[in-house]
Amino acid sequence: MDKTRIYIAILEPSQIIVEGLSNMLMKLKKNFHIFRFNDLEELRNSSAIAHFQIAVINPSAIQNRIADFVKLKNNHTQILWVALVYSFFDDEVIRKFDDTLLITAAPDQIARKLGQINTATDRDQHEDLSDREIEVLSQLVKGLSNKEIADKLNISIHTVISHRKNINEKTGIKSLSGLTIYAITKKIIPLDSITD
Amino acid sequence: MYQTHKTYITSGMKMSDLIIENPSLLFLLEHFEVDFAVKDKTVEQLCTENKIDLPVFLIFGNLYNGFYPDEKEIAELNDISTIIRFLKNSHRFYKHDKYPELKYFIGQLHEKHNTEDILLIERFFNEYFEEVLEHLDYEESVAFPYICRLIEKGRIEQKNDFSANEYSDHHTDIETKLTDLKNLLLKHISLKNDFSLRRKFLFSLFELEFDLNIHSLIEEKILLPLVGKIETRAANG
Repeated sequence: MDKTRIYIAILEPSQIIVEGLSNMLMKLKKNFHIFRFNDLEELRNSSAIAHFQIAVINPSAIQNRIADFVKLKNNHTQILWVALVYSFFDDEVIRKFDDTLLITAAPDQIARKLGQINTATDRDQHEDLSDREIEVLSQLVKGLSNKEIADKLNISIHTVISHRKNINEKTGIKSLSGLTIYAITKKIIPLDSITD
Repeated sequence: MYQTHKTYITSGMKMSDLIIENPSLLFLLEHFEVDFAVKDKTVEQLCTENKIDLPVFLIFGNLYNGFYPDEKEIAELNDISTIIRFLKNSHRFYKHDKYPELKYFIGQLHEKHNTEDILLIERFFNEYFEEVLEHLDYEESVAFPYICRLIEKGRIEQKNDFSANEYSDHHTDIETKLTDLKNLLLKHISLKNDFSLRRKFLFSLFELEFDLNIHSLIEEKILLPLVGKIETRAANG
């Protein structure tokens, strides 16, 4: 999953509003990935639901289904649930959301609201491994266990595991054979160090 | 990427419209042995003509369109043999179509770039392919026959080596290595030229990944729970 991307779900019946809002969001030059849904069911069943960070919803879509909405919201606490308000709505309904967005809001207001969402910075996405990670990787591809690596480098197993996690995240590679190829192409270990 | 619309497939929709919107549905048709020349037929008409259980077709089709079924919908399915037929056809597709295609592309790449990197990638892929074949073989010789006997007789005979956990471990491993391969080619290994060949290879890889994800989902989230239900019923009956 690309961490610099922000996944946004829009649940709004009007095509015009969706298009307008989407265009406005894209122009904020954040890496937004926008999906449109027609009803709560569709959103709940979406395969992308776990990735969403923001859901912008027309309150009329949940008006008669508050219990369903609250359940969905509690199941996905990673999402910022925003009501998209352009007419009068019962306060009872609005209060179920984390935040509200008025249809009359200016782009910078929207940006401020949605800017609460943290994304990984470029630094986090940087692929280069640290010296320590390279040491761990070179032991790892020799077939050493976490315990053996910890002993050899004189660090705790916990630290080894945390280095391994970073290696996986930075390279995007998880399998040992995949990491071996990585290590060879980056000249971390020589080709002849692996045997068939 | 700006994606504002996904269609939730229903029985009255025209298949041709759906394919134009999401060409990946061609995989769905192929795995169900439905001819691509769908004319103006609706989903329901195609299912009737090809003797495919409509609820199964709708749930699978919607997976290709990006919608997960909920537990209630899954529990209501009762045509396991249609599901098995679909899965077996997918296997045939992986074994005799997709993997040979990928293998061919890698071979071509190796021929043009006789470097360490490509040699390693080719070796990685071949080992990976062996693993996939082993898993497909396990499903065909152990899992599917067990399930077919279970439906036919309504009771549990020998369990053989069938294990739901093993199933999903295999899948995770297969998917991890595929992702690794993709990331190695996109992020770490640079080649000069040969755009066309590399593009074909990558596209082919993406297609496989897409179809394989749905395949695992069907087996783990749909087939296995249904089998579990029959096993419970058989054990109690």
